[in-house]
Amino acid sequence: MSDTVQVVSFKLGSEEYGVDIAQVQEINRMVAVTHVPRAPQFMEGVINLRGQLIPIIDLRTRFGMPRAEHTKNTRIVVTEIGTKRVGMVVDSVSEVLRLPVDHIEPAPEMITGVDTEYIRGVGKIEDRLIILLDLAKIISGAEKRELESAGADAAAVA
Amino acid sequence: MSEFFDRSEFVQYFRDETDDLLQSIDADLLRLEHFVDTGAIDAELVNSLFRALHTVKGSAGMLEFTAVQQVAHKLENVFDLLRKDRMPLTEQCVNLLFEGRDVLTALVRAAVDGGEEPGGVEEYVERLDAFAGVYDSTAQAIEGPRSESDEEETLAPVDEEEVSAFEAEVARMLAEAQAQRREREAEAAAPVDADAAQAAVDAVFSNGSPAAAQPAPAPAAPAKAAVPETKRAVAAKNQTIRVDIDRLDLLLNLVGELVINRTRISDIATTLSRELGSNGRASDDLSALAKDLAESSALLARTTNEIQESIMKVRMVPIGQVFDRFPRMVRDLAKARGKEIRLEIAGADTDLDKTIVDEVGEPLMHLVRNCVDHGIEPPDVREARGKPRHGTIELNAYHEGNQVIIEISDDGGGIDVARVREKAIRIGAITEADRLTDREIVELIFTPGFSTADQITDVSGRGVGMDVVKKNILRLKGVFDVDSVPGEGTRFTMKLPLTLAIIQALLVRVAQELYSIPLDAVIESQRIDASEVRTVHGGEVITLRGQVVPLVRVGEFFRLGAPRDPDKVMIVIVGLQGRQVGLVVDSFQGEQEIVIKPLSDVIGRIAGISGATILGNGSISLIIDVHSLVAAAHGSGKVTRAEFSGV
Repeated sequence: MSDTVQVVSFKLGSEEYGVDIAQVQEINRMVAVTHVPRAPQFMEGVINLRGQLIPIIDLRTRFGMPRAEHTKNTRIVVTEIGTKRVGMVVDSVSEVLRLPVDHIEPAPEMITGVDTEYIRGVGKIEDRLIILLDLAKIISGAEKRELESAGADAAAVA
Repeated sequence: MSEFFDRSEFVQYFRDETDDLLQSIDADLLRLEHFVDTGAIDAELVNSLFRALHTVKGSAGMLEFTAVQQVAHKLENVFDLLRKDRMPLTEQCVNLLFEGRDVLTALVRAAVDGGEEPGGVEEYVERLDAFAGVYDSTAQAIEGPRSESDEEETLAPVDEEEVSAFEAEVARMLAEAQAQRREREAEAAAPVDADAAQAAVDAVFSNGSPAAAQPAPAPAAPAKAAVPETKRAVAAKNQTIRVDIDRLDLLLNLVGELVINRTRISDIATTLSRELGSNGRASDDLSALAKDLAESSALLARTTNEIQESIMKVRMVPIGQVFDRFPRMVRDLAKARGKEIRLEIAGADTDLDKTIVDEVGEPLMHLVRNCVDHGIEPPDVREARGKPRHGTIELNAYHEGNQVIIEISDDGGGIDVARVREKAIRIGAITEADRLTDREIVELIFTPGFSTADQITDVSGRGVGMDVVKKNILRLKGVFDVDSVPGEGTRFTMKLPLTLAIIQALLVRVAQELYSIPLDAVIESQRIDASEVRTVHGGEVITLRGQVVPLVRVGEFFRLGAPRDPDKVMIVIVGLQGRQVGLVVDSFQGEQEIVIKPLSDVIGRIAGISGATILGNGSISLIIDVHSLVAAAHGSGKVTRAEFSGV
């Protein structure tokens, strides 16, 4: 058998996503998020995780999907990328999966709703498709977008 | 050898140890300089320099930092010649030694950080060789050729003597590192009755024979008594330990969690007592338990507070860490500028937070340079003015209430008001028509791009100084003032908070969110009638005791979409550098001591927010950055845009 990767899979709308389990620190229920004014739109705010401030990204907004009401299934996936800790709001967490590496294909040219730059590949398990995310790209992209939106702010003020 | 030591640990140890040694070498050289051309010399001073370089050489050799080892060896050699009276102490010699110390510093840095070797080392070594060679060969001519082993020491590191010295060095560093570790472990593991153990040790050593020791008063004592004297000396030396600042911060975070949980427990205790009291059916046992819980939680609260305070105290370090580098700097600069300057330092043991000490170094350096370059006049000018030839720069630090005051003053010419005014007009900061008081003119030196130096020097006068200094001090939530009397001198005063991590804050509510405003910026809070708000040029203002104060509606600045109250307006008046702004909020929620935490860099810089804090109930309050709000209200359009885009 070939190598496998372990991913935490979660849902946004009808699509299923996965992140490398090594980057997931913990999964929490939705808690009160403190809004940070003038932050980029997808930045939901900050939470207090046992004395640490963790920024929260709304993944739906990040991917350009419509926002959804939080339900009892809504979760915050706390990830650790390098030294940065970031929480991501997802609709629900499904399970931890073992994906054989040869079942992962490079990202197709066009995937609706998601820019391909932060897609590492698409994993196939039976008839399910798991979109594997590159978290570092989501964050660095987030920073880039923030600058752009700040630039738009400046233009609005001018 | 590599199997028995962890290299990275030793490199770290080497860096810390060598930093200390280089610092002491610098201080000793400054003292040595007083003996130049006097014919006399402080033998103990030269010996201490020799030993310091010997240690650097040994440690560097162990880690195979050959360049460091080589230069240290050459310098050590010079001190050897000095202490054996084979070389006179001349100015040229001292200058070469100072230079050598700097070359060594650069080499150590390059070796530790794995960077590139700094340039000019070979050239320096050649000069040093040429200089010392004269005396070396004289010595040889008198005493005959040096012994084999002496030669070997320079050339071949395989010499047996060198190897044994090298092994001794390894053993010494290992022993010290292990002693430190052991001490930490011992402290953690078993609280030994130190007095009793010490008494036993003393008894052993005073009687000269372990057999004569009294019956051990504590079980741990015999083991302690058997420790040979060398180890005892090491233990005595290591009364302080080095701790990574990150570990302290981690500890502080954990205590923060503890505080939150403590609050929760005391809430539970209160609720429990109330519930039991109200249903009246609680058994005596249960009531007693509830009372116990309440008492314990009160005790817990006290202990947690004490832990928090202790950790804050651990973060305090003496300002002397920064002051230490100035004697050398002033010496070099004064020489370069042909001035005679005496530097007097007071209050070097004044403690303040590590972060502030780190941040304040750069601004202080600018100011001291400024005093040397612009403050103190050349000796001839001073003499003509009836002053002593040598100028004096004073550095002074002391505590005042909750603040640390640092003063830098010189007895130089003072700030030339006429020239400042002229220059300010030339760079367009003011116009010919502006009527300013002398004080206001002096303040103009903080204008970006301002410099009155006639020529650009490498010391200061590049026009990047004073505005940056002021900005940095404001960033530390400090206050910066300048006082100058023409002909008598200039005094810079900075007032800094003791710590950056904990501040007093005024909590306010804006559109359902709680925000914290640092209390040091708050002048007063007021509730006024909506009709008192006027508009000037499209901006809202109020008149406060005859002064027009612009308003910033916090909810609108932060785009929180909160409706305005049609009747009353709650205003917090904040002031910075004499500029006032009224912040409009929804309600005041009282004062509180808060622990500042930075917002994650994933979020980036947000205009108007300087950080966040976690309140007693676990909720988060963002801290308002008064600077950017004041700038937004007062600044020109250009400044405001820069603030908004967060750059």
